[in-house]
Amino acid sequence: METSESYQVRLEVFEGPLDLLLFLIRKKKIDIHNIPIAVITREYLDYLEHKDKINLDREAEFLLMAALLIYIKSQMLLPREEPLEGEEDPRRFLVDRLLEYQKIKAACTILKEKEDEQSSFWKREALPPLAEVDEADLVEVSLFDLAESFFILMKKKEMENFKVVRGKNYSLENKMKEIIVVLEEQSVLDFLEYFSQQETLEEAIVSFFSLLELIKARVVMAIQERLFHSIKVWLRKDPKDRLARKAR
Amino acid sequence: MTPGLKEIIESLIFISLEPLSIGKIKEVLSDFPGPEIDQAVQELLQTYATQERGIQIIQSAGGYVFSTRPEFDPWVRRLLKIDKKSKLSGAALETLSIIAYHQPITLSEISALRNVDSSYTLKTLLQKKLIKIVGRKSSPGKPLIYRTTERFLAYFGLNSLEELPTEEEISKILGEEKNLEQK
Repeated sequence: METSESYQVRLEVFEGPLDLLLFLIRKKKIDIHNIPIAVITREYLDYLEHKDKINLDREAEFLLMAALLIYIKSQMLLPREEPLEGEEDPRRFLVDRLLEYQKIKAACTILKEKEDEQSSFWKREALPPLAEVDEADLVEVSLFDLAESFFILMKKKEMENFKVVRGKNYSLENKMKEIIVVLEEQSVLDFLEYFSQQETLEEAIVSFFSLLELIKARVVMAIQERLFHSIKVWLRKDPKDRLARKAR
Repeated sequence: MTPGLKEIIESLIFISLEPLSIGKIKEVLSDFPGPEIDQAVQELLQTYATQERGIQIIQSAGGYVFSTRPEFDPWVRRLLKIDKKSKLSGAALETLSIIAYHQPITLSEISALRNVDSSYTLKTLLQKKLIKIVGRKSSPGKPLIYRTTERFLAYFGLNSLEELPTEEEISKILGEEKNLEQK
């Protein structure tokens, strides 16, 4: 009676099938290196039957493990000409997994303690992203503002009769790198100015998409100093990220 | 020792958001002799350790950083209106320690070790910047490879990955669990 109650309580506690298996192994005081597969499979299936609410995603993983247990048992039942050596034990795979998982769990216990310990050490969080400019007037622009500026520009360009030069391919990746390099040198980029420098329509479009990618990845930010003014692009001040990018 | 050096270093640590490494300090203060800088840092730490202050300099993620003293936690939380600092979930912690010990590692390798699909957990860890993508593996499908970040170290108060719980500490925990069961 008591055991079935404790099952109920612990339903959501398990992180996955390995977690549940380890719990059952401990509960039954089983030697992990010599698991009686029939016993543990029975226990395991009992547990699954006790689950009232089924979460399909998680249940699938639990069921997969049940299938593995039954498979191992069937392998062990097969008659063999020669007795199995340690390496060939069908349980070997499972035992290795369990041992590794057990270690990870123990490491988690230690890390959890460290996390608790650290949680009472408060550090200062981020500084304002643009310390050197007066931020009050800055508006981070939306995708639509950017797109609108871009279309205005394209219209202008169209009238100037854009030359189309074939044979040169622009990749997003290269453009993104190029933009970062420019930003690292001059820290700020005028959106309209930058695009008017582009040679072809194709290049301008690739540049625009690159810029959108960079904004999405939160590498740069686009800011408008006042409404209807030119849009400026800044590198986000996150020194660590920047280092990581350089390292790449 | 050059007068004022200790205070210069103090100001550098103060203004740094990420732990400031001794290497970085020396790089910035290249006009001062290295050993003097080492000495000044030690004296600075000494000053903070002996004086009664609300803040301290701690060593974390291989650098120095200011933090409040743990005993003032309740008042800091009162100011910040934070009842309890949010902690990582069990799944997140599990995934994170797998990455820490097995890095560089791919999603499918993590999921195999946990026997649970870990893509969602991985996403939240990325958002928290506790892990990062460092490239792609040259195996079929070119899966992304993950590593822990400096922030991961700082989060757990570790200076380097060498300070992760060792085999001995882990077997000790496992031993203790066994003993508990036998009681």
